[in-house]
Amino acid sequence: MFVHLQGPWNPVWGRLSLQAIPYHNPILVGTFLFAVVIALAAVGAVLYFRAGPYLWREWLTTVDHKKIGVMYCLLGLVMLFRGFADALMIRTQQAIAVGPHSPGYLGALHGYLTPFHIGQVYTAHGLIMVVFAATPLLVGIMNIIVPLQIGARDMAYPYLNALGFWLTAAAAGLVMLSLFVGNFAHGGWYGFLPYFELPYSPGVGVDYWMWAFQLSAVGTTLGSINLIATIVKMRAPGMTWMRMPIFTWASLSTNLIALTSFPVLMVSLALLGLDRYFGTHFYTAGNGGNLMLYNDLFWVWGHPEVYFLILPAFGMMSEIIPTFSEKTLFGYTTMVVASFAIGGVSWGVWLHHFFTMAAEPSVNSFYSVTTMLVGIPTGVKVFNWIFTMYRGRVRFELPMMWAVLALFLLLVGGMSGMMNAFAANDYMWHNGVFVVAHFHMMVLLIAASIFGAVEYWFPKIFGFKLEQRWGKWFFWFMVLGTAWVFVPMFILGFTGMTRRLDYVPYTQWAPYLRVMLVGMAFYVIALVFFFAHLYVSLRDRVKNRVGADPWGTSRNLEWMTHSPVPAYNFAYIPHVHARDEWAWRKENGVASLANESFEDIHMPRNTGVPVLLGALSFVLCFGLIWRIWWLSAASLALVVLVIIVRSFARNTDEVITAKTVAGVEGAVDDALPSAARG
Amino acid sequence: MSSTTDTRIQPGSTVLWDKGDAAGHDILGTRTFGFWLYMLTDAMVYAAFFAAFGVLAHNAGLNSKSVLAAVFNAQGAYRETIALFASVLAYGYAMVALKKGSRSGVAVGTVVALVLGLVFLGMVSGDMERLFGQGIVPQSNGFLSIVFTLIIYHALHIIVGAIWMLVMLAQMGRDGFTSNVVYRLINLRIFWHFQAVIWVFIFVFVYLQGKVI
Amino acid sequence: MTHSVDNPLHHPEVEQASFAGYLANFVITVVVMTAALWVVGDKSLSTLGFIGWTTLFAVVAVLVQAYFLLHMNWSKAQVWHTVAMLMFIPLFVVMIGLTAWMFHGLYERTMIAMPPHTMAAPMKRAAPAQAVPPVSQPVPAPKAM
Repeated sequence: MFVHLQGPWNPVWGRLSLQAIPYHNPILVGTFLFAVVIALAAVGAVLYFRAGPYLWREWLTTVDHKKIGVMYCLLGLVMLFRGFADALMIRTQQAIAVGPHSPGYLGALHGYLTPFHIGQVYTAHGLIMVVFAATPLLVGIMNIIVPLQIGARDMAYPYLNALGFWLTAAAAGLVMLSLFVGNFAHGGWYGFLPYFELPYSPGVGVDYWMWAFQLSAVGTTLGSINLIATIVKMRAPGMTWMRMPIFTWASLSTNLIALTSFPVLMVSLALLGLDRYFGTHFYTAGNGGNLMLYNDLFWVWGHPEVYFLILPAFGMMSEIIPTFSEKTLFGYTTMVVASFAIGGVSWGVWLHHFFTMAAEPSVNSFYSVTTMLVGIPTGVKVFNWIFTMYRGRVRFELPMMWAVLALFLLLVGGMSGMMNAFAANDYMWHNGVFVVAHFHMMVLLIAASIFGAVEYWFPKIFGFKLEQRWGKWFFWFMVLGTAWVFVPMFILGFTGMTRRLDYVPYTQWAPYLRVMLVGMAFYVIALVFFFAHLYVSLRDRVKNRVGADPWGTSRNLEWMTHSPVPAYNFAYIPHVHARDEWAWRKENGVASLANESFEDIHMPRNTGVPVLLGALSFVLCFGLIWRIWWLSAASLALVVLVIIVRSFARNTDEVITAKTVAGVEGAVDDALPSAARG
Repeated sequence: MSSTTDTRIQPGSTVLWDKGDAAGHDILGTRTFGFWLYMLTDAMVYAAFFAAFGVLAHNAGLNSKSVLAAVFNAQGAYRETIALFASVLAYGYAMVALKKGSRSGVAVGTVVALVLGLVFLGMVSGDMERLFGQGIVPQSNGFLSIVFTLIIYHALHIIVGAIWMLVMLAQMGRDGFTSNVVYRLINLRIFWHFQAVIWVFIFVFVYLQGKVI
Repeated sequence: MTHSVDNPLHHPEVEQASFAGYLANFVITVVVMTAALWVVGDKSLSTLGFIGWTTLFAVVAVLVQAYFLLHMNWSKAQVWHTVAMLMFIPLFVVMIGLTAWMFHGLYERTMIAMPPHTMAAPMKRAAPAQAVPPVSQPVPAPKAM
């Protein structure tokens, strides 16, 4: 039934053997030692502080949307670091391996990475940054903020929420494992067909890529179902649609995109899987397969996915800018309409990723026009933000600085995107670094929004503000790095440099590539400042304690509870009267959070089942990657069994008694000063 | 400055906090809505399969007329259609019994639906076996790959539904009609009835229109 | 957070079940599918007519099912189900339709369908392979661009 494999295989270990461990590659051995040191330090710290039971009880088994969100963000940060390390390797290689006389190290003819190795590096960089860094960070922030903004005590399905996280974590684990056991795909993060078919990529790399991608897609789809149901069904009384905070609108729009498009990604990957495991002919060249079908299905997901990433970023900007302009958001309704217009148009533009497929001119023209249409709602948003700032009392605190940076990057990325929308242009620079520079502007604007959002909402979740001094150093070095890396990249794009080069043939490009390396140095320094920022903030956490509304000018429901937010979010569900409810209450002098008598609150009980299912899925995919059939069959059977057994559980809820609530409510001080003001 | 409202505040009569847990989220409705969203993602999976079907059908000519005739066995598919529709009707009967709170009625309806579902599965797998025996397999070419994938993916849903029915029979026996059991029975209805809708597409656009491909 | 006194059997989604409705759905869909099967045997129909009739029957069957089985309506209990479905339908159409459009042109321009005997023969075919003339597709002259 299964397709015949080249090379050794046995029933017990599948394709796994000692040769799969890359102990001869000093870079990977170094990475491994680094990972071991970090892991030992982490395990040691847990053992030393006897934090194991606490971690298990409070974090790993939690179904609390805030804690799951925090874990999503931590996962995203770890993977962001990994993705950055990959970027550093690519830039270093391209700065060294220029021209025929460039030196070679570590077995590479030029530079220090062999073509096979750098192929894995850029594949991992792309996949990690899109799927395992940006997505978890955004999903994490939505997970934390949306239930608070709509006045709910948790998500619609807390258990499913935990499951979605653990599936994503398992997928990220697979990508990390591929560093040390086997290898990773080496044909680019979105896959090349028929290159990714078994005859041309017989190793396990493509399988790692495919299953990690697939697993994370399942996790994200579950998450999107959860957020949509939460927004539709769990809003506080009085919160009509047009009173919803704009970030919640953005989350709804973005999750509708995820809900509709991720299934198509699953299909595009599953059909590749059928080709690789069963020898079908979906994407083969010949035998009635069609390799462009893969590109078609992949980008049916892929382009909506881009807006899946950017809409929450827009939502974050729409929250930060009014707060720090001390004004209500300009053009709320148009903002909502624009979010949904972007989401809708995203479903009709996917061919612009392969204009060069040789489709009919009418087809290319159609997709050119739809792509340009995206500019209209985006332009509406840009003007709305600018008009929000206009005549406002703008305070350039850290969240606002990030939001403004995001606005600038959006302009650069958006304008270059318009240039890419012309099919004729695309014939010139398809697969060139101009396109790469364009979409890095877009993802960096997402990153900037995320950093702004973290600065903005951090005090709400943890009860203290991040310090500002190192944070500003971090910010400015990120700006420097971005300018020094991507301005030369745009220029290189115009001069015709293609992406994913392991060796750069033209020495004329060397100066630009070295300038980009300087930019990477700025990024590294920024990273140091980032850690300083974190360290100083944690050190001064008592000094920086804040009350319910640390920025003083926030406008929405999430600021109507204590900082840090108690497990039950709101002792009483707020009744909503206005669009910016918290601002409305402050204006009307009813902004007190004090309540006297309390009631029992029903909350879901923590459970270890999602962790278990995540672990089993990890093993299932590991078995499939190495073709250890018994392992996959056993873990699949266990997954089914665990789901069925869990469905028989009766005690899935617990009660937080009125007394406990009164204790928590009595202990907080909402009137603490807002540290950064005054 | 202005938050968006014209409401003048009446400090005495304005309700700021919802005491008495009056928020009262409808758990059952929330559960079925989430499951319905899942069902639609599954429909999107089928839609992607059909998009692939449309693309790969251009190469259907790689198969001889006799192979295509063997695959697109309209009479057999029609018998499968009747079995599946009857199963859906039986589960509908179980839903009517649920409305009346009749445990035995739900059990009978579910068991009949389960048996008819298994009959459907038996017919599909018999059909597959016949084709595989003639050397007509998904590995032959791209067109057959997508045809078999569509049919087998639908059959996998029937297997999942059958297991789910067994689980629900057990849970109903243990707990009666608790809120958990009821919402799962309704989700199962959504799931099971959705299979009939998908089958219409497979029957008409694959089995019947396969004649003119 | 439902009230513990609520009886789940009185939920509108339980109460919307109707045996008459399910039976009507069964009868109508079986009749329509039978008609579709009958059309397959009708030699007098043109290809286009055949596709048109069968598609029409499929649409009728699915609409009937959407009404009776999936309870697509605007009642308070079902309105969001209906809205979600209405959001998905255009996307189904967009994905399948645009894909078909793109690839129809693409096959014409680039991927010339080859007769079976020039390609690798499918495995162990029951009938001899040469029996069939391919669905002959004239090789289009490359269009000037």
